Amino acid sequence: MTGGVVVGGWGFVIAAYSLTAIVFLTYGMTLITKLRDEQSRAEPEGKQK
Amino acid sequence: MLTAALRKELLLQWRTRSQLMAVFVFGATTLLLFSFGIGPNAEMLRTFSSGFLWLGLLLSSTLTLSESFHAEMENRALEGLLLLPSDPRALYYGKAIANWLQLTLLGCALVPVMVVLYDAGTTELLKLLAIILLGTAGLSAPGTLYAAMTAQVRAKQTLLPLLLFPLIVPALLASVKATSLTILGDPMHQSRSWIALLAAFDLIYWSLCGLLYGRVVEE
Amino acid sequence: MKKAYVFIALGVALLLVGSYIGLFVAPAEEYMGQVQRIMYVHVPTAWNWMLAVLFAFGCAIAFLFTANTKWDARLEAGLEVATLFAFLLCCQGSIWAKPTWGVWWDWDPRLTSVAVLLFAFLGILALRGFVDDPQRRAVWSAVATIIASVDLPIVYYSVKWWNSLHQQQSTPQTVASQFHLPLRINAFGVLFLMIGFIMLRTRIANYRLAREMAMPPIGGEQAGELA
Repeated sequence: MTGGVVVGGWGFVIAAYSLTAIVFLTYGMTLITKLRDEQSRAEPEGKQK
Repeated sequence: MLTAALRKELLLQWRTRSQLMAVFVFGATTLLLFSFGIGPNAEMLRTFSSGFLWLGLLLSSTLTLSESFHAEMENRALEGLLLLPSDPRALYYGKAIANWLQLTLLGCALVPVMVVLYDAGTTELLKLLAIILLGTAGLSAPGTLYAAMTAQVRAKQTLLPLLLFPLIVPALLASVKATSLTILGDPMHQSRSWIALLAAFDLIYWSLCGLLYGRVVEE
Repeated sequence: MKKAYVFIALGVALLLVGSYIGLFVAPAEEYMGQVQRIMYVHVPTAWNWMLAVLFAFGCAIAFLFTANTKWDARLEAGLEVATLFAFLLCCQGSIWAKPTWGVWWDWDPRLTSVAVLLFAFLGILALRGFVDDPQRRAVWSAVATIIASVDLPIVYYSVKWWNSLHQQQSTPQTVASQFHLPLRINAFGVLFLMIGFIMLRTRIANYRLAREMAMPPIGGEQAGELA
């Protein structure tokens, strides 16, 4: 495989960027959701800890 | 302390030697299945013979490794051993060495199977033995540590290979390459470097796992 | 927790700027064409993945020395984030490899090492899921993380060597100087994002640990939470 010109390829670029964005976004949102869930569970349990 | 532990392990293995026989049959069957997977292409089988040998050995090791803690888990003997005024490291190395010998035996037993099924033999038997010794040592050290962990957990059959397989990739690569070069020819003496890599891997993991074993079985 | 959200916001902002420059401002590369632009997310992810692994390794050692469960919480976060990044790296690498080499996987030593460590960390996360006792879970994960992290350089060199006998393909790591700006911006963007993620995930782990410790054992059995 020598270095020729890779034609086109915008599709792959968009795929890579979108995948990265979606993964970060999804993970961030699950983290925030889980955190809110844990915080609300900790409160009703009274002044423990 | 180490010799006592080792003697106990070897005695245990001798008493359950029928199990080793069963594992050998498992390993041989695996080698057979590999040839069915590839097809009756003699040249291809010969080229990949060392890969099949080591994969077969690796798969068989999951059986022997998890079995090695079976006795301890029954009657909760593991805790009993910890109450003794002994260094847990002696226990670890005793078991690791015993597992190592067992895997070496298995490996040597599978070599004739490989020779017959794949027409892959070599006259450099001592070198092959050295590679098998070093390669199985690489499997045994982390394998014994993880077997100690997973023996105490649910789903141990799945967890042991899950943890062990990614870890031993360098040992697998080196063993396969060294064996392959020994069988197929090694004009540039590359196998020496692969054997050196195996030795380095073994050194690192036999020390590291021994160091960490105490923490794994404490409490 | 405000700090974590600040990091995340900063990270997102930097990534937007850096990606914009990388996609629309920077010129296309001579041989690779537009596909080169994938490097502006791939390389930053790679650098930060290595940092995440280093972080997990550090937490593992810290826990074994201090026995402070806060380090176990951080370890849990580090493991999860490192696993996520490793997965992302393998996907990005495949997307890059297909138009460039015609195959989805070309056994590049760096990416192959990432894949091996991805499976190793997945195994450790699985181990955590099956161990109910928090103390034991912490010790075992720390031990397993140390063993896996020590293996990383060994895996890399063995694969590199194993591969060098066959292929001479260059790996997508060298980037010419005119492309450095979007790379640096995105590298910091991913870094801040990662720091924010780890902070949030550590918080979650701490909450869960507190709940586990507080739960009284019922008939000898604990209703342990899956990590």
